[in-house]
Amino acid sequence: MSKRTIQLEVLRYRPEQDKEPVFQTYTVPCEEEWVVLDALNYVKDEIDRTLSFRWSCHMFVCGSCGYKIDGEPKLGCKAFLRDYGDHIRVEPLDNFPIERDLVVVLDDFMEKLQSVKPYLIPKEEKPVSAGEYLQTPAQLKAFKQYSMCINCMLCYSVCPQYALAPEFIGPAALALAHRYNMDSRDVGRKAREDMVAAHEGVWECSFVGACSQVCPKDVDPAGAIQQAKFTSAIDYVTSLVGIGGK
Amino acid sequence: MDARKPYVRKVSKTSWFMTHARYKTYMLHEVSSIFVALYMVLLIWGLFALADGPQAWGNWMSFIESPLVILLSLIAFGFFVIHTMSWFKAVPQAMRIQKGEHFIPGNLIIGGHYAVLGGFSLFVLILAGVA
Amino acid sequence: MARSAKAVPWFLFAAGGTVTAFVLPVMLFVTNIAPPVGLFTDAMSWSSMHDFVGNWLVKLVLLGIIGFGLWHAAHRLRVCAHDFGIRADTPVAAVVYALAALGTLLTIWALLMI
Repeated sequence: MSKRTIQLEVLRYRPEQDKEPVFQTYTVPCEEEWVVLDALNYVKDEIDRTLSFRWSCHMFVCGSCGYKIDGEPKLGCKAFLRDYGDHIRVEPLDNFPIERDLVVVLDDFMEKLQSVKPYLIPKEEKPVSAGEYLQTPAQLKAFKQYSMCINCMLCYSVCPQYALAPEFIGPAALALAHRYNMDSRDVGRKAREDMVAAHEGVWECSFVGACSQVCPKDVDPAGAIQQAKFTSAIDYVTSLVGIGGK
Repeated sequence: MDARKPYVRKVSKTSWFMTHARYKTYMLHEVSSIFVALYMVLLIWGLFALADGPQAWGNWMSFIESPLVILLSLIAFGFFVIHTMSWFKAVPQAMRIQKGEHFIPGNLIIGGHYAVLGGFSLFVLILAGVA
Repeated sequence: MARSAKAVPWFLFAAGGTVTAFVLPVMLFVTNIAPPVGLFTDAMSWSSMHDFVGNWLVKLVLLGIIGFGLWHAAHRLRVCAHDFGIRADTPVAAVVYALAALGTLLTIWALLMI
């Protein structure tokens, strides 16, 4: 395998010694087939043990290694060096406070994810002995895309409405709510409306669409939100007129 | 863990969209609304002129044919095209049509929109031409 | 959290966006670009236009186009103001929707006079 030498410019932040984040460049000998995450791990193993970053599966299913690479939010394990020049800039994801180096504070995201009641709310609780829920392939297809989210937060880092109004519930959480609302086993749309139909819910979204552009799993949260707007708006109008809902 | 001191990066409320091409594109089609609003005002004025009579109508037409308005109209036309293109592109995302286990391909939906656009525009042009 | 009333103007915005996307390019061409270059002079003459708009169906269509266009532009301008940093959403919304309502009423008035 042939090697490349990459200049990896990483935004460092050590709260115990830095007043502000500062860039530090490492010279990294890389294999041709590496991803940016491999280069970061080389730095941590061989050059600078203090470099901090999250990662886990190395196969873009866990959502841990989201960084801003050359200005674009990406998963470190999905950013192949062959697609970049010899100088690569790596920063923590935007719109989240920096904890240390490439590690961001994601408490806000975790709270929002939980706030949309991301679990099945069935018509009636069935005991396990009553058997499984039945669902056709078509019914599964209706929500499957929105179940593919790996909570990597790339969408939040690129959403200007989240940047400017941090109370915005955000793309992933709203797409998740939509995933359950579209599930034929679920009747919880009304229960979720408090979050989804609030100002901070779908109505903060102005369909910039950046979230769907950067999503590594093609969840299309922007589409989910627009579809949720339709349903929410119809629900709102019908409730004004006094017709019941789900 | 008193060593925690999370760093919050500031975002400009007025120039955030200059930081990336995708934001500039978004602002471009958002700003088309200014020209939509201006055109609606022009049309309302035109309706009043129409009701008033040939002289008022003549004034309205003269305004339209003045150099500054011609320039603005050409710019507005550009923005209306931008609006149409960005709107059509967004339709398959906002409205998924499921048929069995498949969704109707986005390109088909968008293509259908352009077909209707073309047909309607041709109809209006022919109508205007033979009036 | 309270449900947002943004749903209502959003419906109008969505309808208006669809109407304007199909209609505005050719309409602007006929009213603003054709006359300066001498096209469609007969169609754009007062007598021809007056007859055309006198038709009740045409009035209804024009009301739809201008009405939906106004509400579409109003809602989008509200969001635009927000995106450009004018964060006082409630007064901005009040102004743009009031103008859209005014425009709609003026349109109805003018159409009734023709």
